[in-house]
Amino acid sequence: MTVRLSEDKMYETLSAVISDYNASEENLIQVLHMAQVIFGCIPLNVQKFIAKEMQMPFSKVSGVVSFYSFFSTQPKGKYTISVCLGTACYVRGGKKVLEKIKEITGIEVGETSEDKLFSLQVMRCIGACGLAPAILVNEKVYKQLNPTKVEQVLNLYKTGGMADA
Amino acid sequence: MPEIIKNSKDLARITKAFNDKAKKFSYTINFCYGAGCISSDGTSVKETLESELARLGIADKVKINLTGCMGMCDKGPMMIVNPGNVLYCKLDSKKVKEIAKKHIANGDVLEKYCYIDEKTNKAIPDMNQIEFYKKQKKIVLKNCGRIDFNSLEEYIANDGYLAAEKVICSMTPDEAIDMILKSGLRGRGGGGFPTGLKWKNARNSKGDEKYVICNADEGDPGAFMDRSLIEGDPHLVMEGMLIAGYCIGANKGIVYVRAEYPLAIERLKTAKVKAREAGLLGSNIFNKGFDFDIEVRIGAGAFVCGEETALINSVEGKRGEPKQKPPYPSEKGLFGKPTIINNVETFGNIAPIILNGPEWFASVGTKDSTGTKIFALAGDINNTGIIEVPMGISLGEIIYDIGGGVPNDKPFKVAQTGGPSGGCITKEYLNVPIDYDSLKDLGAIMGSGGLVCMDDDTCMVDVARYFMEFVQDESCGKCVACRLGTKRMLEILERITLGQGRHGDIAELEQLGEVIKDTALCGLGQTAPNPVLSTLRYFRHEYEQHIEDKYCAAGVCSEMFVAPCSNACPAGVNVPGYVALVANGRIKDAYDLIRQENPFPAICGDVCTHPCESKCRRAQIDESIAIADIKKYVAEQMLNSDQPARNIVFPKNGKKVAIIGAGPSGLTCGYYLARLGYDVDILEEQNVAGGVLAFGIPQYRLPKEILKKEIDSIRQVGVNIKLNTEVGLDVDFKELKEKYDAIYIATGTQLSRMVGIEGEDLQGVYHGLDFLRDINLGRKVKIGKKVAVIGGGNTAIDAARVAMRMDADEVHILYRREIADMPADKREIIDAIEEGIQIHELVLPEKIIGNENGEVAAITCSRMELKGFDANGRRKPVLVKDSGFSLDVDMIIPAVSQYSDLPFVRKDEVELSSFGTFVVDTKNNMTSINGVFAGGDVVRGSDVVITAIADGKKAASAIDRFLGGSGELNKGESIDIPMDFEEYEVVEHERFPMRILDPEKRKDNFAEVKQGYHRLNAMAEAMRCLRCDRRA
Repeated sequence: MTVRLSEDKMYETLSAVISDYNASEENLIQVLHMAQVIFGCIPLNVQKFIAKEMQMPFSKVSGVVSFYSFFSTQPKGKYTISVCLGTACYVRGGKKVLEKIKEITGIEVGETSEDKLFSLQVMRCIGACGLAPAILVNEKVYKQLNPTKVEQVLNLYKTGGMADA
Repeated sequence: MPEIIKNSKDLARITKAFNDKAKKFSYTINFCYGAGCISSDGTSVKETLESELARLGIADKVKINLTGCMGMCDKGPMMIVNPGNVLYCKLDSKKVKEIAKKHIANGDVLEKYCYIDEKTNKAIPDMNQIEFYKKQKKIVLKNCGRIDFNSLEEYIANDGYLAAEKVICSMTPDEAIDMILKSGLRGRGGGGFPTGLKWKNARNSKGDEKYVICNADEGDPGAFMDRSLIEGDPHLVMEGMLIAGYCIGANKGIVYVRAEYPLAIERLKTAKVKAREAGLLGSNIFNKGFDFDIEVRIGAGAFVCGEETALINSVEGKRGEPKQKPPYPSEKGLFGKPTIINNVETFGNIAPIILNGPEWFASVGTKDSTGTKIFALAGDINNTGIIEVPMGISLGEIIYDIGGGVPNDKPFKVAQTGGPSGGCITKEYLNVPIDYDSLKDLGAIMGSGGLVCMDDDTCMVDVARYFMEFVQDESCGKCVACRLGTKRMLEILERITLGQGRHGDIAELEQLGEVIKDTALCGLGQTAPNPVLSTLRYFRHEYEQHIEDKYCAAGVCSEMFVAPCSNACPAGVNVPGYVALVANGRIKDAYDLIRQENPFPAICGDVCTHPCESKCRRAQIDESIAIADIKKYVAEQMLNSDQPARNIVFPKNGKKVAIIGAGPSGLTCGYYLARLGYDVDILEEQNVAGGVLAFGIPQYRLPKEILKKEIDSIRQVGVNIKLNTEVGLDVDFKELKEKYDAIYIATGTQLSRMVGIEGEDLQGVYHGLDFLRDINLGRKVKIGKKVAVIGGGNTAIDAARVAMRMDADEVHILYRREIADMPADKREIIDAIEEGIQIHELVLPEKIIGNENGEVAAITCSRMELKGFDANGRRKPVLVKDSGFSLDVDMIIPAVSQYSDLPFVRKDEVELSSFGTFVVDTKNNMTSINGVFAGGDVVRGSDVVITAIADGKKAASAIDRFLGGSGELNKGESIDIPMDFEEYEVVEHERFPMRILDPEKRKDNFAEVKQGYHRLNAMAEAMRCLRCDRRA
């Protein structure tokens, strides 16, 4: 993980970016890209700040943020769990593994846990059919899982045993 | 090089300096730094190479270029060593170390790490000799993979910025536009609008400011041409934009690139800085007072922004929603000023056209589609990656010659171009030249260049659903037609794939599709229905099957079946069920489970073509389950134990059914009807029951005892088989109709078709099926010493192997295509070759020569070669002129195909197809005569045993319904299938071997070739099953 700036510092940086782009409307998307880099996502407060600094209606900023799939208003968790549901994983019980992960983390697919530790997504074949069922936690592959094993894996991350894997 | 370039002399000086410097190196290594190779760990491999060269002390003799994509993305990481153009692929640290030591330090080419041709298994070191590159023509990608993308000098040394210099220093904008017009260049983004015309319009538009936009928002799934070009040759794209700016009078260019392409963004920005430092961007370019600069704008993930008006909105910082056209961007574009928007590849064509002239460009490709096109090959194709081909090349050449064909020799089904806006091209059109207009005629589009190849395991309804889901997700929501229309279409497609399709769904899809096409605001919406309309045009029957029969032939829509193998079985046998029972050692239950759907487990274990195995998902890991062999094991165990099969028979219902023909179809139909309580008489003209099983299949494949035992089990349920009874001779057909409540005709095809060549009436010509029948029935047959068999099906292979087992010294099979194309079972072909039978591929028999006694003496043939493709997507054999030769033989067995003869039915009484087969109602197999049903080969023409069985079963159900029953067959008690799954690891393991009789021990007798499984191997093989029938 990169070192996180304090919130004040983040707004300060964003303010500098906006003036670099002359606070002009045509650069809104480029400003939002930078905001997402600085804050990790673009929550409502940040959108309001941008609207004020760039002197445009908040609705306009929000409209652009919600239009493009690249922008997220919710922070991603520290660890993104990607569950493979490709054919081989599916038939080897990938869905059971997914259910167990949902149970442990308390989140649905596409969500992030309240403690910002996990985000959950589903993938179609990660090319590890011989290792099925498999999941990815960030970039690391865990193979041949079952509900018991996946609990052990997630516990590693919960207890910090896999810090910054 | 911070000096400013002012003219062609400066460019020439830089070129010379670069070339002089290059001469100092003894080797140049072009290392692929395309996105594909980098993600297969190319960076660390390159670093290992560098440190190894340094360790060997030869680093200063070698120039390492980081280049753009070389095209064969699945073979990466790769590099080319010059001189010699030696391509090394699938590199890793160990390999590059060895290459550094042996090749670079010592000059020995390491062939083992070069490209290996899959067909010949030979290494091909010279890149230009690889099939993948041979048919390509590189105009736009000429630098890609050849030069360092970060080096402005190297770009210049390869004629870079020479075109811009020529235009800006010596031409008027109108002259330059005229060149582009004359070249015939059309927009490569997909629409195909003439580029010159677009520029001319923008030039003529009045405006104080104008803009040039390069559209690099490549969003189609499966397309990555633009990315590869920008990453591999960013200056070429910028030079094209520079020329465009000069032509239309713009001073500002914008590259709109996807945020998903960080590498492209980075390289573009680096190139931009270097060009600016050299004065190639900025003010007063080439000292001619022309100012032009380029800005990179990053998109934010919206597919619709590929549409030009939406893109303009996005560049302006707004939501990327499209606008009504006209006004067109060339009049009112970015910030309301005249703007041209061209695709990355279009800009890549500009400099080559200016340098080589429009005539040269127009000489490549077809009349109305000039030049080349870049495609991204993806999907079920051996060589995935980026290619550039001349327009007008055929799809077949792209897929088979360049793409290397479909993996695992699966049949090609369809190619999809143009992504979610495009359509499909089926195997019938492999010869069609690829250009804008011919693709449009086929209901597809050129698109930006995504070409997704799909094999037989693809369900077209599912493909349509996939694209509709994509478009629906990406619809911007501005207009109702697209926002709601695509949603409704998606809902219908989803329910069809879930097996909940309704009557009328197809009509509704078509109606919605037409409305959306006509009324949506932008290109995204207007083209959104294309994948649906296109698949409906070519694969309507698949939609109908899903809706009417709840059946997905490809085995994709999993809600409609237990497992893909069962789905592929025409008889619908519960494959994972009995395989699981075998794994649990419950052999009798396994046998009874098979017999619920198929009364002939042993016969099918021996001779079934096992379509189930072709859909087995285990094949994705290692090898499909040996389903037929497991079935053979089960059946043999049961038949040898003489335990009775579980056959519950219902009380007689007093109704009588006559079945004509005691082949697999008739016997199956009789079996199920008798179990329902019908009185069944099967009339068979031969003196033995079994039909083609008895007289068409040789002993060594299907022993007579096995056949007899299974036919006896049909008799056991009360079926009465009357042998030596020919309808039309011994009994009258009319009489049958009066005596019985229903009739099932399953007489098969027994007459051999003539080849149609001179000399077929000579003595010693023996047609395949007649030959097999006479041998099987024990008749005396004179076998030649040297036998030629004509054909490539199972009958041909059987006849050849039988001849070999009799007195023949030499047996030759003459086949007009390649062995891989033979319809016969692959294992049988291998067995035949092992037994010493000589197969001659690509040979066309032309005439049989007789001697003075009217006996066969020789056969004359010509050679064939494969050219183009036939309507089934197979390579077409074409006669090679003056290639005639003669083969001395004394017996010829033509085995090309069979047809049926129905002497007992008057031709005016019943509807027949032009092939002489019955026309039946596909729902219930009833002929045009009320109460007379037909199935098996007499309806299908020559087909396989399992389809005959499936027809017999279907007819039994239909006859029961016809006679007032429910149509539900009596399959006996249900059998519980083990569902207790242990969580064991799947370890890669090929099939467990079955005992096969040694070729030397089998080739002169009729002993059974397949000796069957040992119990342990059968159980172990059964345990390989992934149990697709379980759903978590």
